[in-house]
Amino acid sequence: MNWESIFNVGLLQNTLRTATPVILAGLGCLMTEHVGIMNIGIDGMMIVGAFVAVLASYFLGSWLLALVFALLSGVLLGLFYGLFVVKFKSDEFIIGVALNIFAGALTVFLLRTIFNVKGAFSDPAIVPLPKLSADWLESIPLIGPLLNNNTLLVYVSWVMVLVCWLFIYRTPAGFWLRAAGEHPQSLRAAGKSPEKMKYLASVLCGAFSALAGAHLSLGYLTMFSENMSNSKGYVAVACVIFGRANPPLVFLAALLFGFIDALGTRLQSVGVDPTLTKIFPYVGTVLMMVLLAIRERAKKKAAQAAK
Amino acid sequence: MKSKAKVQYLVSLAVSVLLALVLGGVIMALTGHDPLEGYSALITGALGTKRGLGNTLAKTATLCLTGLATAVAAKAGIFNVGGEGQLYLGAIASAYVGAKLAGLSPWIGIPLCLLAAMAAGGVYAVVPAILKVKLKVSEVITTIMLNSAAIYFCSYLANGPLKTAEKGVSAGTDAIDKSFMFSKLIKMSSLTESIFIAAFIALFVWYLMSRTTIGYEMQLTGQNSRFARYSGIKSDKLAIGSMVLSGAICGLVGMFEVFGQHGRFIESVSKDFYFDGMLVAMIMHYKPFGIILMSFFFGILQIGSTAMESRVGISSELILIVQSIIIFFMAAEEGILASIQAQKIKRNSAARIAKEATEK
Repeated sequence: MNWESIFNVGLLQNTLRTATPVILAGLGCLMTEHVGIMNIGIDGMMIVGAFVAVLASYFLGSWLLALVFALLSGVLLGLFYGLFVVKFKSDEFIIGVALNIFAGALTVFLLRTIFNVKGAFSDPAIVPLPKLSADWLESIPLIGPLLNNNTLLVYVSWVMVLVCWLFIYRTPAGFWLRAAGEHPQSLRAAGKSPEKMKYLASVLCGAFSALAGAHLSLGYLTMFSENMSNSKGYVAVACVIFGRANPPLVFLAALLFGFIDALGTRLQSVGVDPTLTKIFPYVGTVLMMVLLAIRERAKKKAAQAAK
Repeated sequence: MKSKAKVQYLVSLAVSVLLALVLGGVIMALTGHDPLEGYSALITGALGTKRGLGNTLAKTATLCLTGLATAVAAKAGIFNVGGEGQLYLGAIASAYVGAKLAGLSPWIGIPLCLLAAMAAGGVYAVVPAILKVKLKVSEVITTIMLNSAAIYFCSYLANGPLKTAEKGVSAGTDAIDKSFMFSKLIKMSSLTESIFIAAFIALFVWYLMSRTTIGYEMQLTGQNSRFARYSGIKSDKLAIGSMVLSGAICGLVGMFEVFGQHGRFIESVSKDFYFDGMLVAMIMHYKPFGIILMSFFFGILQIGSTAMESRVGISSELILIVQSIIIFFMAAEEGILASIQAQKIKRNSAARIAKEATEK
């Protein structure tokens, strides 16, 4: 087997590409995780973000406006999700699933009604996200090609990992956010409303998920296709569980997922069936969750034994 | 008191469905279509012809089975989102057995295919169930992941090792024995004899869930697994068992598609059939009898929506939007009622305060 055709810079580049939407969606998902909501509606928020981004980019001819509108759609969906889960106290799973189905159907419906196409929409008039690169980086092996030529949102996602960590663990608002999930009564006693923090988390989740969607449709591909989130929203939830809702850990989990996905794609070059390698990321995610559960159990047992 | 809650539930359901249909009509109007024309095309498409009615009944059976599959697991506290994958595996397993057993009497062949489908679906459902019960791994995530894994795996098989040598078939397994096929009850429609098996399963599940001790224990487990365990119910076994039953039913739905329509496994064997049934189950709060009834209504909507698309040009996805709106309403039913109540109380007390103020 030709190892170099599998393990090369391309593998790492692909890792980064597939991981970025998961990183962004994961950052959103960990916000709701901290307030005690397991939001599985992220997939739907992503697909709407992806659609709105293409829509705005096509009609307004600006990637910046596309991002603004995608963010706006995310905020609205976040408020919508919050309304049901926080205000009406509905089952978060049911609302999440319903949101995914609603978002999937709505985007397909609009795709057919506005653009009159089935399946996918691409057009030269869609402005993609800009790619950034610096000449001086190019000369450095491995790091140069890896850091250069990524879309804007890739770098944004790295900065956001840090920002989210600072926000959650180093600001009063982040403290209240965590308190809303862990000790809502104490938070209320301290004069802050846990409901408001839950709304805030939902809105942040929507915004990040929509950005993740915009990266899907305006990042490396400039098109919208039905069901293009491809369960990545659920992968993000798995990464958040795996990374215990801590931004840098979630970031690493997403990279791990991206690596498994990219490895699958790379294996095609040595003749492994491409439909078979598509299974990799999904089975990989399940294995990640199982590993985590086994580790947690071992820890618990060790703690009990210590007692 | 119980009947009052029931009435309240039925009223909420009726209002939700009506509101969702009205919203669907508004969307039709906004996109330049006549809502009345749209809905009448929907109804005549689903019920107006013999063929349409046959398709609607077949759809009802599919929705009913997948819905009951969701309910069986959900009542025992497991949320099976993985029915689609279980359906695919059931379809391909039964297609494989059906092709291998060609030449055998249908009286032996078909039961074996039924078993193969149930086993494939059931075994695949065991994995997330055990992970949930033993390791507390969220079944929502694992079942979703296993969905994609199963669908890609089946498409790998249908394009690779199990691909038929027959010419003119782009991707699919070998054809099953012709004598194993369920015959059509209405010509040109998708209604086949499988509906009798479906009806039997539906009755069985309804009986199991609402008339037996196992069903009662399942409910206790789903409501409060710790309490159930303290009262001597083997809740782990029950949860795993109900998940296996759920997966087995999904496997059968896959088999019915193969043995009723396609005659072999093809990649497009299901178009989110499981998710459609899951919606029905969610709306009906996992109540078996309600699911059976609601499946018919949703069957009309779904079959009618294709007629609506071809005759009036309204994208059939609209019906999925309408259905998800019904779920939003039904999931929020209690919350919405409570907030209306709260507003009423607020208004009443405000009025009283105002009245007292003027009296002074």
